[in-house]
Order: sequence, then structure tokens, then C-alpha cells
Amino acid sequence: MSWRASSGLRSWLTQRLTALYIVVFLIVFAFVWGGQTITFESWRAWVAHPAANIALLLFVFALLVHAWIGGRDVVIDYVKSASTRYVLLIVFALGLSIMGLWTLRILLLAGME
Amino acid sequence: MRFLIHRYNPEVDKKPRMQEYTVEGFASGAMLLDALFRIKEEDDSLSFRRSCGEGVCGSDAMNINGRNGLACITPLKSLKEPIEVRPVPGLPIIRDLVVDMRQFYHQYRSVKPWLTVHDPEPETEYLQTPEQRDQLDGLYECILCGACSTACPSFWWNPDKFRGPAALLQSWRFLADSRDQATAERLEELEGAYRLFRCHSIMNCMDVCPKGLNPTKAIGNIKKMMLKHLV
Repeated sequence: MSWRASSGLRSWLTQRLTALYIVVFLIVFAFVWGGQTITFESWRAWVAHPAANIALLLFVFALLVHAWIGGRDVVIDYVKSASTRYVLLIVFALGLSIMGLWTLRILLLAGME
Repeated sequence: MRFLIHRYNPEVDKKPRMQEYTVEGFASGAMLLDALFRIKEEDDSLSFRRSCGEGVCGSDAMNINGRNGLACITPLKSLKEPIEVRPVPGLPIIRDLVVDMRQFYHQYRSVKPWLTVHDPEPETEYLQTPEQRDQLDGLYECILCGACSTACPSFWWNPDKFRGPAALLQSWRFLADSRDQATAERLEELEGAYRLFRCHSIMNCMDVCPKGLNPTKAIGNIKKMMLKHLV
């Protein structure tokens, strides 16, 4: 079985791997920021650091991919008509892509400072 | 004891209804199936399937007080009154408590539930070590009553595409068999978004299985095996 041909396994595995990254990131995040008050300046300084910047970007990316697989599963389970399915999936994918691009823009700008 | 029994005869009834029956005087160990027999003595128009009456044949799976089970091994004492008996959910109703199991059997057949061997057959018998034989425990005992698949929302929504817990348990029964040589073909056949991966591990199947089997675990094992075959 090749990776390309295994669409079911691929989504299943991706969902689990992204979940793992999300959990690890949140634990590290809580460890780094726990007990501190986040101010605009401290947050900006943190996000400007390349490691934090990339970790945060990966987190948002993992979250969006995870949401995409979950949302697509719900649509496959409950929505029978193919046309409604396409419309819902396109709207969902567009929404997630916009959020992804927006995050990318914010983090790139923050990282360049 | 009060019973509410699902009644539907498509030749006469426009829609299903629940009919009330009261039957008294059961022996202490009486099962729900005994009560259904008594009701049938009173009203012989009631239809239900049953055969062995001891939890082996799997004919009398039904929805008992909202939970799938076998009428023949469900003690009346364990049930709250009025006892509501309906056909198992998700399959077309033929009459009263009798459902059309064709979709269920179709999915079962699709996993090719038999040993496939490509090598020439041995002179005497196929040998297995006791450990290899142990792998089949908890898998071969399935009686195909359909309680698990008809308790599974993924099977309700996609009974034509999702194999369902019963068929997937059997698929794993042959994947786990040291004598079977069709592993790659079996895994290949289960690929895609529907056949295996509609399972979201909510475990209704293992919750209702009257034989105490665990299809969710079997499905997890199939996924793990797929992963191994990928890398």
C-alpha cells in the first residue's frame, strides 16, 4: 500500500499527528507563559523570536489541518447530497485557508521586526 | 409485567405503532424471549425471529429498552417496566421486530470471511502454534446477530459503504490468522474514507455485544496493521 493510495489511513494518521503536536505545543506554552501576565510588549517580543514564531505557525497550521479532517468527517457522515457536500466543504476550506493566510501574514510581519 | 412492542405490518399499517401487552406469572429465570412467546400465544400476529433460544444462533437481536441485545439471554428481571421492544435500529423493517439484514450480510461478505492461502495446500493439515491460535480468541466467537453494527451511528448513516463493526471484526479475524496469506489484499480493500475509516471509535459496538467481543479494538488493530504495511 502506498502513501498516495491510502487516503483513509492518511487522514486518520494526519489527524492523530496534528493532535499530538497541538497537545505538546499547549503544554510547552502553558509551561512558558504559566503564571505570567501577557502584555502586548512581552507577547510581541516572544513572537518575534524565530523559534516561538515557527512553533506558533506550526501550531496554527496543525490546528487548521486537524479541523479540516474533523469537519470533513462530519460532512461525510451526515451530509448525503453531493452538491451540498461540495458547497459545505468549499466554504469550510476557504474559511480555514483565510485564517491560515492571515496568521501567516501576522507571524511573518512579527518575525521580521 | 407491562410490555410495549413495536408493531408494523406494511400490508395493513401506514406507520409503525407501539402495542401494549400485559403478561404475568413468569418463572424466576425467565428471559425476554419467554415473554415474547407468551405474547404470541395471546396475539399470534406478532412476528419476531428466534431459533436456538440460548444466545448461540444470533437470530433474536432486538432493541430492548433502548439497547440492542438478544431477547433469549436478557433476563426479564433486569428490565425496567414497561419493557419497550423494538427492532434493531438502522435496517429496513420487514414486519414487527423482523428487519431486512441484507445490507449487514453484504458488508460481511465483502470482507471475504474465509481463509485465503496462495501456497499449495499442505499434505495433512494447516499447523498453528498455540500462541498463533490464541490470536483468534475474542474474534471467532461472533454469532453475526448484528447488535453491534445496528448500534453504530456510522453504520446508520452509511450502511452501503461502511463495513460496520461486525464485518470489520471478521476482517481482523482473518488478518490475525497466521494461516491467511491475503493480508495485503484485505488491507487494500478496506482503504478509502468509508469502508474502515468511518469508525470514530465511539465503542457502541463493544458496549452492546452479547458475546462480550470488542470490535473497536479489532478496528484499531486493522489501522495499526495498515500503518505497519505503509512503512
